[in-house]
Amino acid sequence: MILSAESSLVDVAFAACTVLARAGETAVLCGGSAAAYYVPDLYQSLDVDFVVEVGAAPHVVDRALATLGYALVSEGHYRHPTLPYVLAFPIGPLAIGRDYITAWRTDRRGDLLLHVYTPTDVVRDRFLHYWAWGDRTALDVALAVARARRAEFDAGAFRAWADRELAADPAYDAARLARFFRMLERGG
Amino acid sequence: MRRDDLRPAVFGTATRDRVLIRLALSENGLHVRELARQIETSANAVHRVVVALERAGIVVSRPVGTTRIVLLNRRWYGAVELRALLERLAAAYPEVVQRARRSRERPRRIGKPL
Repeated sequence: MILSAESSLVDVAFAACTVLARAGETAVLCGGSAAAYYVPDLYQSLDVDFVVEVGAAPHVVDRALATLGYALVSEGHYRHPTLPYVLAFPIGPLAIGRDYITAWRTDRRGDLLLHVYTPTDVVRDRFLHYWAWGDRTALDVALAVARARRAEFDAGAFRAWADRELAADPAYDAARLARFFRMLERGG
Repeated sequence: MRRDDLRPAVFGTATRDRVLIRLALSENGLHVRELARQIETSANAVHRVVVALERAGIVVSRPVGTTRIVLLNRRWYGAVELRALLERLAAAYPEVVQRARRSRERPRRIGKPL
């Protein structure tokens, strides 16, 4: 499987996830790149963030990604000689705030596959970025995914999770959570 | 840092322990140099610890002006428990706590006595 100069972030994500799966490693697309997967017209990223399951062998990951032309450039980061997308492997486990992520969505394209956060998890992840650091872009992305994937976004699960985070760390600003729901209802 | 320090290195090394404890005592984070000064360690040693902790997601750094501020990552899945442990461990590091208290991070009127 060779990537071309025209390959997009999504092409790279499918290719990387597939070669890793064939090598026996499960890698899940997360972070901003998972958001870019769901709302490509609204949000773009040059980082393709994957978390591999705990216990993955680094040399197996290196070898699998080398088949796509990606080489390790620094710990957890792989670059391609021509493509602008960097494959990043933050240290797991896969978690959003205090919640461990043990289920994800798997999409298929022919014989390729992609494990990716569900839309609800992308919204949680991006919202948490805003909640923790006040990053308004992350809030906008969370809202964009929630709107674009309205049928799949589980607002009840989101609120239950946010309540748990707030109970664990009362320093989180409840007004930011209220703002999210207000903006989501307003639709703008 | 005294070489005869017999306190346990809970997080692997004394420098790592002190970095984390000092960050737990900080509201807004610290520059690496200031962090190093406060725990009486070289900036290079602190930088190495910070890079490793950042890679693990335990701390984050964010740009402020021309420099970077390091702080505990409240998004990390064990952040609440880690902070509680560090606050407990801080009792064993009175010199770190005292320095943290002396270095007031909130705005302070010019000329107001410490």
